[in-house]
Amino acid sequence: MVLGAIILGLKYLFTRPYTRLVPEKERPFKTETTRGKHVLYMDKCTGCTMCQRVCPADAIQMVRVEGDWKRNKKKIFPRIDLHRCTFCAMCVEVCPTGALAMTDITGWELTTEDKEKTIYMPYELSEPEPPYRITVSKNEWLPPPPFYSKKKLIEKTSNK
Amino acid sequence: MTNNVLEELKASIPKELVEEIRLSKAKSNIVEIVIKPENLRKIALHLRNLGFNYFIGIETIDWWKKDNTFELIYMFSSIERNGQLVFVRFKIPRDNPVVDSIHDIFPLAYYQEIENYEFFGVVFRNHGGLRKWILEGNWDGPPPLRKDFDSRKWVLEKYYGGKRYERPI
Amino acid sequence: MGLKTVEIFLGPQHPGAPGNVAFKLTLDGERVVDAEVVPGYLHRGFEKLMEYRWWEVNVVMAPRFCVEDPDNFELAYVLAVENLYGIEVPEKAKYVRTIIAEMSRIQSHLFWLLFMGAAVGARYIPSWAMAAREEILKWYDYITGHRIYHHYLVPGGIRWNIPRDFRERTLKVLKFVNKIVDDIKKALYENKIFIARTRGIGILKPQDAIRLSATGPVLRGSGVRYDVRKVDPYEAYDEVEFNIPVGEYGDTYDRCLVRLKEIYESMNIIRQLLDKVEKLIDDKHYRYKIPLVAPPGEGIGRVESARGEYIVHITSTGGQTPYRIRLRTPSMPHLTTVIKHIVKNEEVTIADFPIIVKSLDPCAPDLDR
Repeated sequence: MVLGAIILGLKYLFTRPYTRLVPEKERPFKTETTRGKHVLYMDKCTGCTMCQRVCPADAIQMVRVEGDWKRNKKKIFPRIDLHRCTFCAMCVEVCPTGALAMTDITGWELTTEDKEKTIYMPYELSEPEPPYRITVSKNEWLPPPPFYSKKKLIEKTSNK
Repeated sequence: MTNNVLEELKASIPKELVEEIRLSKAKSNIVEIVIKPENLRKIALHLRNLGFNYFIGIETIDWWKKDNTFELIYMFSSIERNGQLVFVRFKIPRDNPVVDSIHDIFPLAYYQEIENYEFFGVVFRNHGGLRKWILEGNWDGPPPLRKDFDSRKWVLEKYYGGKRYERPI
Repeated sequence: MGLKTVEIFLGPQHPGAPGNVAFKLTLDGERVVDAEVVPGYLHRGFEKLMEYRWWEVNVVMAPRFCVEDPDNFELAYVLAVENLYGIEVPEKAKYVRTIIAEMSRIQSHLFWLLFMGAAVGARYIPSWAMAAREEILKWYDYITGHRIYHHYLVPGGIRWNIPRDFRERTLKVLKFVNKIVDDIKKALYENKIFIARTRGIGILKPQDAIRLSATGPVLRGSGVRYDVRKVDPYEAYDEVEFNIPVGEYGDTYDRCLVRLKEIYESMNIIRQLLDKVEKLIDDKHYRYKIPLVAPPGEGIGRVESARGEYIVHITSTGGQTPYRIRLRTPSMPHLTTVIKHIVKNEEVTIADFPIIVKSLDPCAPDLDR
């Protein structure tokens, strides 16, 4: 038993520590699906305000951006406050044109000393800092899940 | 199984105490008993003697626009009958929401009644300890879950200075 | 009661307090003669907030009552909405949801081991339990995209499809957790000090447990074989085999033992369901989209969460948002009637008080909501 403890101790002497040196050596822990900061494709956005209406944390407001937008006649785009955002991806899911997506920029990369900087304007959202990876986009819901109706319910119960 | 309980309750509870005994519209394995508010204590004692001695909770629904009443739902369950749920529901007027307390029959009702008092203003007779409990020290408006009172607007005006967003835009 | 009693305040920042909740203790010398809970430190008004949001969006609110066991709370809300709409979910979603909920139960019990180990002074238990929980959180991050609040279950199914290596990943996590839980069983549950500090204190007899509305592991620790998963099966629980562990004496040790056995039972359930999910891995049919406007009526969701029976009762008048949601959370009886009963009927000293409270595993946020 004592020998076993010594061997175990020696084994852990040569293994890597469980702690990670963020940001000096490594980036924060994340997987292929971690939801993080948004990305906004301004050429796809139509300014329909669905993301603002669905947001449960009230983090999205529409702001006016001057310019020549072919699809966005009202010239309004979402502005996202990541201080309030819960990263639930409801806005990505509800967006009819797929103008919003989520990257894996999260954790340490989003920390800031100035509280005002957590509000991201449309231009800042459209160009996230690399390296990043798109983790949640409209493709997750393509083809769209079937819409549930009374007819389907009857079909389903009759099959059983 | 549920039908047996329904028949048993219909047979054992005196007819003059209840208005209707039915299966719940939501889930067919729940029995609902609709009563008059003054018979609550008798029904609670009856249910306890029938084995429904596992008290779950009290719910209040504010039917302000519909008929100006509070609907109270008492949830009982029974361990020996495989967790069969029984809902006892009745309506009391919204202007004078007074109902008998059952905290001496089911101890948990003491705290559930305090909760319903502070969130809806329903007064429980012979309770003896109605006070602000969860809301103590952080709410001084009217009962917040009432439908005729916009608590969200009130919070914005009182605590956030009328701004929807507590930070400058 | 002696001539002089002292009132002291325990919590919410005391290491012996179970989270953001305080107790007003009446002391007679060392003995606690009365304990009155002081809640409200985490009141966020969820029952009201959920009345302002759409049916599907409320999924974001639903897990946030309890940090430690989010998915069972999410599942209860989702079941209530499905009950209201009268829909059935695809088979794949049913199995995956059950796995997610059981994983949440393991995670919650591991989190509780942290508190319990700290309360009895076994300082090595917290780091072991956290290491096991960390693996589960990484698994959650991979499957759902988040670590704590997953927003993964949705009325009508699951939000997105599971990855192809779902089975391998899950088995790997279970293997790791199993090893650590075995170690904890040896190091804590057979430890003389732990047994001496928990055996025979905080006794709750079965008839008292029912009278005081205790639920979950506290009720089962008193020897009452009652589990919503068995008596009113939801999701895929009628297709799996599992036991309900119960205690013998109803003391603190029994409640701890029930939770440990439940971790093993949950792992057993997940292993059984993984085979069924593997057969459906190519199935693209995992979700129905529900209409924005709900039919008028009522919906009930009833689950066995890690802390006990949890009921969501929804009333709808046929709109985009709920008319009223009532959440009956499992921690309320434990923090109020049960703890009061124990200190009144037994000589509980102030040193034993945190251990008894921790063994009830209360979650203060779900009392406040």
